[in-house]
Order: sequence, then C-alpha cells, then structure tokens
Amino acid sequence: MRQLNNILEGFGSTILLLFRSIGYLPSLPRQFGRFVEQCYLIGYTTLPIVAILSFFIGSVLALQAGYSMQNFGAKQFIGSLVGLSMARELGPVMVAILLAGRVGSAITAELASMKVYQEIDALVTMNIPPVRMLVMPRLAAAVVMVPVLAIIANLVGWFGGAIVSKYTNFISIDPPAYFAALRRFMEFKDVANGLIKAEVFGLGVVLVCCNIGLNTRGGPREIGASVTRAVVTSLILILVLDYFVTKALM
Amino acid sequence: MNNFQQTARVGLFFILGLALTWVTFETLRGGKVFKDQGYNLIAGFESLKELKEGDEVRMAGVKIGEVEKTRLAGRRAEAVLRISHQVKIKSDASAMIVMAGLIGTNYLSVTLGTEAAPDLPDGAEITTKTTPDLNSVMTQMGELGKKLETAIGDLSSALSGDGKNETGIIKKVDQLITENRENISKATANLQEITTKVNKGEGTLGRLISDPKMYDELVSTIAEIKNGASEAKTFIANAQKIVDQVKSGQGAIGALVFDQKAGDDIKVSIANLRSVSEKIARGEGSLGKLLSDESLFRDAQSIMKKADRALDGLDDTGPITAVGVVYGGLF
Amino acid sequence: MATAPDVTRNPFTQTESPAVGVTIENLSKSFGTFEVLKDISFAVKPGEIFVLMGPSGSGKSVLLKHIVGLEMPTAGKVTVDRRDAAAEETREHVRMALVFQAGALFNSISVYDNLALYPREHRIGNEASIREKVMHALQILSLENAAQKFPSELSGGMKKRVAIARALVMEPQLMLYDEPTSELDPVMGATISEIIATLKDQYHVTTIVVSHDRDLALNIADRVGILMGGRLVFLGPPSELHEPKDPKVADFLHPKIDLQNPRFKQLET
Repeated sequence: MRQLNNILEGFGSTILLLFRSIGYLPSLPRQFGRFVEQCYLIGYTTLPIVAILSFFIGSVLALQAGYSMQNFGAKQFIGSLVGLSMARELGPVMVAILLAGRVGSAITAELASMKVYQEIDALVTMNIPPVRMLVMPRLAAAVVMVPVLAIIANLVGWFGGAIVSKYTNFISIDPPAYFAALRRFMEFKDVANGLIKAEVFGLGVVLVCCNIGLNTRGGPREIGASVTRAVVTSLILILVLDYFVTKALM
Repeated sequence: MNNFQQTARVGLFFILGLALTWVTFETLRGGKVFKDQGYNLIAGFESLKELKEGDEVRMAGVKIGEVEKTRLAGRRAEAVLRISHQVKIKSDASAMIVMAGLIGTNYLSVTLGTEAAPDLPDGAEITTKTTPDLNSVMTQMGELGKKLETAIGDLSSALSGDGKNETGIIKKVDQLITENRENISKATANLQEITTKVNKGEGTLGRLISDPKMYDELVSTIAEIKNGASEAKTFIANAQKIVDQVKSGQGAIGALVFDQKAGDDIKVSIANLRSVSEKIARGEGSLGKLLSDESLFRDAQSIMKKADRALDGLDDTGPITAVGVVYGGLF
Repeated sequence: MATAPDVTRNPFTQTESPAVGVTIENLSKSFGTFEVLKDISFAVKPGEIFVLMGPSGSGKSVLLKHIVGLEMPTAGKVTVDRRDAAAEETREHVRMALVFQAGALFNSISVYDNLALYPREHRIGNEASIREKVMHALQILSLENAAQKFPSELSGGMKKRVAIARALVMEPQLMLYDEPTSELDPVMGATISEIIATLKDQYHVTTIVVSHDRDLALNIADRVGILMGGRLVFLGPPSELHEPKDPKVADFLHPKIDLQNPRFKQLET
C-alpha cells in the first residue's frame, strides 16, 4: 500500500514538474547559455555512443534476419526489416535507454547532490525557482536534441545493416537492392513515428530523472540510491510508454 | 572550451539533424515535398492488381514518374500518375501493369508511342492494355505443356513405332537398305569403274575433260547451270515441303516409304539401274558406246553443240531443262 | 546608532529600505510522529541581532527553515514583515538571505559566479554593475583573491565567508545564519562573529543567528533564545545568561566536565 502510494506520488510530482517547467518556458531565451550547455551534454556528447550502438544493432539485425530468412528465400526483404525495426522501434528505444544511462543518471546525481548539499534550498531562499534554472533548460534541450539523436541512430543503423548485407557470405545483397527494399515498404510516416516516440521517451526520461534528483532526501548515500532509482524508473517508463505510444500512433 | 564553440557545435549538430531528417523524408517520399512537380495522367484499368501508390511509372524501363493515387471510379479502377515534366507522353502511347518480381512488386509501363502523335496534356487519360496476370499465364503454361507432351509422344512413336503392329520410319528405311545392299554395292562398283576410265582419259568423257575447246563449252554450260541454281533453290524448297509431307505420311513418297508395294517397285527400279550400269560397263547401249567408242565422240561433240544452241534458245529455262535435253540426246 | 532602528541601509547603494520584523506564533512541527518543535512563540524586532541557541538536535535549524519558508509548519504561523513565511510571494517582497551551515555554495560554478547568480537571475543591473557589487562584497570579507576559484578549492572558513558574501550581494533585509562558527578554529570563529556584528551595525539588517557558540551569543547578540527539546526555555538579553535560573540552561552554557560522574553514565541509571 505504501509502495503504491509512493508510485502515485512520484507520478503526480513528475506531472506537476512538467507543468511547472512548461510554465517557466518563457524564460528560456534568458537561459540560453544553460540551454546550449544542456544541448551539448544531451546531444553532442551522447552522439558517439549512439552511433556505435545503432551501427551494431543495425548490423546484428541484418545478420540475424539474413540467417533466419535464407532458408525460405526472403533475403531481399532484409532492407525493409532492418529499416522498419530501426525507425519504428529500436532507434528511439535505444536512444532513450542510452539517454537514461548516460544523461539521466548524471542529471539525477547532480540534482540529488545539490539537494543534499542544500544548494537547492539556497536557490529557494534566493527566490530563484530551481525548476526554472535546473529543470526547464534540460527538458528543452532534450526536446530539441533527442529527435536528432534518433534520426542519426536510424541512418547509422540502416547503413550498418547495408554493410553487413553486402559482406556476409550467406546474405550478399548489394546496397542498392537493400535500400530499394527499405524504401519499398517504408514511408516517412514510419520514421516520423519513431521520432515522436523518441521525443516522448526523451522528455519522460529527463523529467523522471530531474524529479527523482530534486526529491532526494537525506545524506550523500541517498545520491547513489536516487541515481539507481532514476535509471530503473526510466527504463521501466521507456518500455511502458513504448507500448502505449506505439498503440496511440497506429 | 569556450561558450561560442559549444554553441557552434550544438548549432551544427542540430542542423545536421534537420538535414538528415530532410534527406530521409526526401528518400522515403520520393521527392514529394514539392507536390507540384510533374503533371497528372489517369490510367483506367479493369483491375489494378498489385499496383499501389508510390509504385514507379517507367517508359522503356526508365523511371519517369510514379503512381500518385489509386482509386475506384465507377466500374473501373483508376491510377492517377504523376509524370515528370521533362517527359512528354504521346497520345497513342499505352500503359500496362508489369510485374517486376513474383511477390507484389509492380510498375506501370508506358510505351513510347509514335513521334508524330500529339503530347498528352495534364489530366488526360492514357490508353491502357490489360496484361494477363500471373494466374492466367500459369493456366496457359499448363495447357501448353500438355500439348507439347502429346506432340512429342506422337513423334517418338512415328519414328520408332509403338512396338505393336506398326513399324517406324527408321526401321523401314533400315529394312530397305538391308534388302538392297547387294544391288547398291554393285552399282557403286560399276560407277567406280566408270570414274577410273574417265580419269585415264578414256572414252568420250575422258576426252571431254582433256580437250580445251570442249572445256570452254562446258564452262559456259556450267555458267548457265549456275544461273539455274537459284531456281533449284525454289525446287529444293518445294522438295522440302514434299519431305515435310513425307514426314507426315502424306503424298507419294510418304506412301513409298510406308507402302510395301512401293518398296518392291523401288527394288525393281534399282535392279534395272544395275542392269543399265552393267550394260554401260560392257559397252552395250548408247552410254556404253559413248564411253568406249572413239567414233561416237564426234557425235557427242555435235550433240553438245546442238545442246548449246538449244540452251541458247531456251535461254532462261535453266539447267534442269538443259540436263533434260542432254539426257534426251544421250539415251 | 544614529539611524532610525527600523531602516535597513543597503550595503552597496546606501539607499534605505525598511527593516523587517519576524514573529513566530505557536509554531509546532512534526516529522511523522516525531515532534521537533512544540508550541514556540517569540518575535524578532527589526534591526536586532537575535541568537538562537540550543543543543544539537533541539530543532534550531528547523526553526530557521520555517522563517525562510523551506519548511511548512504543522501548526501555528511564522510571519516575516507581517507576511506568511510559508507563502512563496513573501520572498518576492522581502529579501532574505540564509547562510547555510555548510555554505551551500554552487559547486559547479566559480566563487564569482556564485555571488553573481542572484543579480543575474533577477536582472538587477548590467554585467558591469554586477561585477562592482560582487567585488565589493568579496572585499568586505577579504576574499578578492578567491573570486575565480571553485568552492571545492576553498577551506571551511573561506566557504562560510563566501556564503556570507553571497548573502550580502542579495542586499537582504533579513539575514539568517545557520551555525556560522561551527567547525572553525576559535580565531576564525571570532572573525565571523565580528563580521556579523559589523554588518548589522553598518547596514542595520535584521539578523537571526542559530548557533551554540556561547562567545558569539554573549558578545554580539541583542537578545538570546534557547531551544531545548523543541521548546523555548529562555528568552532575554545575553546579560541574563550570566546567572541562568534554569539548571538545564546553566548546564548547557557552562558544562562541567565531570570525570568522576560522567553524563553518559547518569543516563544509564
């Protein structure tokens, strides 16, 4: 019962945090410096790991698809399979998971330590709302940067699949054929779908991580606990949201 | 790192994202961003089969546009085509649905049309041709296969017999040759003898070969014979037809091959041929004399001259007739 | 004190704004079932230094947090300048600065940026005037050399002084100090006490200090309150503390280290 209470409280405070952040949105131009800094952290520095991971996910998809499809001669559809799975599902989910692990944990750790060391309280006494200064620029940066990461993940994954399809003995499908198959069964709608999903996930992850960070109570030990909780909650949120967003977009 | 650098990197990163999104959009939409590119044509079909929106329209295998929309219009299906501005489609060009792969990949093929015909304007309807779909092709293929099978069966039974009362062509020819082997070999031996004599310059034919004047006359004769060769070709063509008839068992030779009585006749004629050649070898008969008697050479010469004249007179009648004349003179 | 007692002089612009008073009425606070503050009432007059004393865990810091609005009372009311301290608008009208026990400096930015944060966020003046203000505040606390350092590079005493400087830049009408002399050597403690007194004398800021530093209380306080077990057990001028009537207060102020009969053994019996 208490746990259910905690979950509901967390849910409610997260939603409240979102609305308060939206309320502070007009002050974004003034916080342009912080916004750019967060964009840099969320987007630019996350790019390498996103690129590496999506490349190999695309490759493995092509490899597995080729391996299982060679028996019934559907190899020419590898392009469509990799293209659709990357764009609709794996690209956005992977970006969100990396975001939770790499950026979300850092956000929670920073906010939790600010909370524990009373920096948040200091902001409050200085009449500077912590949400305005700490949460809103991060959310805005996530909104702007996550789709960029997702589209890069898609393209890199597609090319990974194309390379594997060409150079694997039992597949050996040339890139033109691969991309022709990819284009044949795909529309921009599928990619847009994925980008919307990435956007929702990115927003959710940053929001949850900020909320858990700001609600940290106790000593330095709680910082670690908060980070763990933030990452776990983010991962659960991503997969639960994934189902509902996918369903809603169908 | 200073602030400016960070801002620049973030800006570039964001622009990269926008650019990639645009590229993806362009690639997947096939350039539909600017909707007013190209002009529309309407192609009506009884059924669009597997044709769907976004499929290619090709002219002579080159992509010239795509299927913008498919719709049901009254009692037929219509495909609205978007054709690139650079390509003009002639009014007598026709469109048909062509299969590019076995699994639901189609394109619309448009023929070139004639040069002189006017161009189709925007929104015009293009004439269409129905192509058999895969199912009907498969059915026809099956029927064809059955027919082919019976034909091959018939042929093989005709050639080698069906193993019961009927004997096949090959067997009959074989039989014919076996039965007349002796006669044939004798005739061959006689012919050999004649050739030997000719070689040695004996007899009229020998002279004929070694005498230059005679040779000149022969050359002109041969030229005329050549002249007639073209006619021989027509004859051969006719002969071919006859052979075909023979094969199908029609006509005289057909009967000859298949008829026991005709076979007997052939035997008799071959026996006659043998006696003739035997006579020739012994110097009996005109040809025998011609070959062994000096005095006859001169007669032959005059006959040759006559034949020459006759040939001149006949002019275009050709070698068959000429040979006939020679033959007539000789026998 | 030449100036009127109810006016705060701005340390930078020398403009004057009314000093604020603080009243606490029947304040109670519980965390779960644990009652930290029990029915506390007192008032701090505008422009005075009020020192709140008490043993560790007596609820002094919690009381302070109620004044700046970081905690909501379970019962009772706290008003600052006749406004509810728990309401957010109060902070819009009254400039309050709390000097945290550990400084609570923003670790990710330099000392200079720590001080400049408040005027920047509230868009008070341009960058040049902010620079002037910040350097002035650093000068007051002789911290000019630390401007470009990060909080992690500072000693404990310097952190406290930076925290005070940061509070000064806010041009506060109400200054609150949470244990300003704890964890410092006696000389540094004395220095901080002098700074607090000087600031109050020069700028006439209402000052509330939470501390268990007896020397500080006796030397700079206008009035002293003593909290014990969540109750206010003493309220009066520091002169009264030389001969306290309450034995517990006397023990707190003048603890005798009795090796024959140690306190932890008394508790056992």
